[in-house]
Amino acid sequence: MSRWFRVTAIALLSAAALAHASDSPVDAQAPGVLLSRQLAARAHVSIGDTVTFAADPEGTRRVTLRVAGIYEPTPDPMRFTAQRLEAHLHLPDLVALVADGADPAAREAVDAINVKLTDPGDAARFGAELAARAPGVAVTPTSRARDDDPFAVLDRFHVAISAVTVIGATAFLLALMVIRAEERRDTVAILRLIGISRRSLLAAVAIEGLLIAVVGAIFGVLTAFAAEGLVNRVFQARYDTALVFLRVTPSIALRSVAIALPLGVAAGIGASWPLLRGEILSLFRR
Amino acid sequence: MTSLWLAWRTTKRYRVRAVLAVVGVAVIGALLFDMLLLSRGLLASFADLLNSGGFDVRIVGSEGMPIVRLPIAGSTRLANELRALPEVRDVVLIRIERATLWSNERTSRPVTLVGTTQASGGPYTIVRGDDLPRDSSFDRCPILVSRHLAASLGVEPGSSVKISVNPDGVRSALPAVSCRVTGVVNFFFASAGENSVATTMTALQQALSVPAFAPDASAGEPGVDADLILAASQPATGPAAAVRAIHRVRPDLRAYSNEDVVALFNQNGFAYFRQISFVLSSLTTVFAFLLVATLLTVSVNQRLGEIAALRALGISRGRIASILLWESALLVGGGALLALPLGGLLALGLDHLLRQMPGLPERLHFFVFQWRAVATHAALFGVTAAAAAAYPMWLTARLPIAATLRREVVG
Repeated sequence: MSRWFRVTAIALLSAAALAHASDSPVDAQAPGVLLSRQLAARAHVSIGDTVTFAADPEGTRRVTLRVAGIYEPTPDPMRFTAQRLEAHLHLPDLVALVADGADPAAREAVDAINVKLTDPGDAARFGAELAARAPGVAVTPTSRARDDDPFAVLDRFHVAISAVTVIGATAFLLALMVIRAEERRDTVAILRLIGISRRSLLAAVAIEGLLIAVVGAIFGVLTAFAAEGLVNRVFQARYDTALVFLRVTPSIALRSVAIALPLGVAAGIGASWPLLRGEILSLFRR
Repeated sequence: MTSLWLAWRTTKRYRVRAVLAVVGVAVIGALLFDMLLLSRGLLASFADLLNSGGFDVRIVGSEGMPIVRLPIAGSTRLANELRALPEVRDVVLIRIERATLWSNERTSRPVTLVGTTQASGGPYTIVRGDDLPRDSSFDRCPILVSRHLAASLGVEPGSSVKISVNPDGVRSALPAVSCRVTGVVNFFFASAGENSVATTMTALQQALSVPAFAPDASAGEPGVDADLILAASQPATGPAAAVRAIHRVRPDLRAYSNEDVVALFNQNGFAYFRQISFVLSSLTTVFAFLLVATLLTVSVNQRLGEIAALRALGISRGRIASILLWESALLVGGGALLALPLGGLLALGLDHLLRQMPGLPERLHFFVFQWRAVATHAALFGVTAAAAAAYPMWLTARLPIAATLRREVVG
């Protein structure tokens, strides 16, 4: 049974292609091809099968290849919604398949040439020099400048959302600490009446806030670690990709704790401050 | 004294915690409101952008809406065939090329050169000068330049410039042609710093030295092949009928209505923002519920003696539950109301931040106000207020009056 798929043949062009698992014995002489995991699954082919690629839907220009391997496409966050129906061919095999026989220059044409510079810092100078020597050739560095990177913008967006969440959480924490402080109004009054200094009470409140913040931060980090696998599995299955969507790194965990601790201490002190600052009799509503 | 009034008195009595709760709900609510705006904002803005040109069908030579377009063979003949269709009102050919614009012998800029058969009223607003002329017999190469390009080169309407086109796959440099700036415009689809130039298809043909690139020339037809054809459907039949009619004329081409393009965009390009909007909307709603439920529960636990006393005085369970529900509604409602202006301000900031993404059209926005978002916001907070009050209400409903009074008073 034959199945047709539109496949992106890597590095050279997008070609209409026919892939079918052959019932005939493996042709060891056929050139090898690598298929993406998604394409192999969709076409129901495995290593050793022969497949036919065609450059047009009619199959007039075709080549039979042997599946030498199945690979996981490099995850690309810019294309995570795309179906990765791809195949890697040797350049001569693909050129032979798609080159226009009437055009002798077609066999020499490629879409892109990847160049690794001895000194990556020379990229701008190299680009300018090549553009001057070969007009019409576009030279693009593979690494993006920070200002030209959409993920840098998304990073700033995430930081902004985190900041808003922290503000909301702080108000929440402060409200709880205020309730807790009011609950202990009489206790604080008695402690101050028997001679416990404001500084000692302040230290106690600060330590309590710190402990709550530590426990909260650890709980939050553990929840994030637990959610990491779940979120990744859900989205990887949803988009059929190996892309890692969520990664809780030690630096992120440390940053969360570093923000949570001072906030906890400040909320504890801020909520108890009216009780510690006021006159003792006022705490007894006198 | 109504339940609402009693709830209001209680909220006023504990005003510090009430203010903090309202602030917390307002901040989280602002984030929720923004995520609701984001959930469809980009799509609404994109649809608005597509519709702004007055054309509702897009025809391309390859599948999907790729960034790199394939020229459509026989464009001029096809345009004439399409104009004859009863479902089609108007047709415009568009060709986009990379080019270099020289304001003098020393100063040049790489530009995106758009050739169009649309004589006036294209996807731009004129800032200074005039539109492209309908009759190009007197002006061989009229051009419109983007405001950014005009400012960077110091050109104004009436200035003379030279343009040389750098088509993909052509190694030899084409000769530069002399052009005259007729207007300075804001292009709808151009990004903030993009150097864009629009001209007539005739002028682009001249700049491309057409005989070398126009397959139609051999057929005795003038013009270069367009890589995008825009069609306006007849209002009576609509874009879907126009798409079907175009498929019948040229089955090898892909025709998409604006709705199709938005649907494709929603499926592919918008996925990230849809996901983050959904995840953050859910999280913020849960967070607001936790905030109010915790505060109310702790508050009720503090006031068990007071509530038992009210019950002992003859106030019914239902009345007490109603007071708690109103307390929840006041906290959540106050926060939700504050969240709307706060969310609006936050949306402006976040939109400004996201629009710094390279290559985005200047007119595209991520956060777009929609009444639907306000309605969803209100509904979500209504449910949150009711859910947050549920546990404290249950707590007070099963409160043993005598035991509680004894414990609270003796204790």
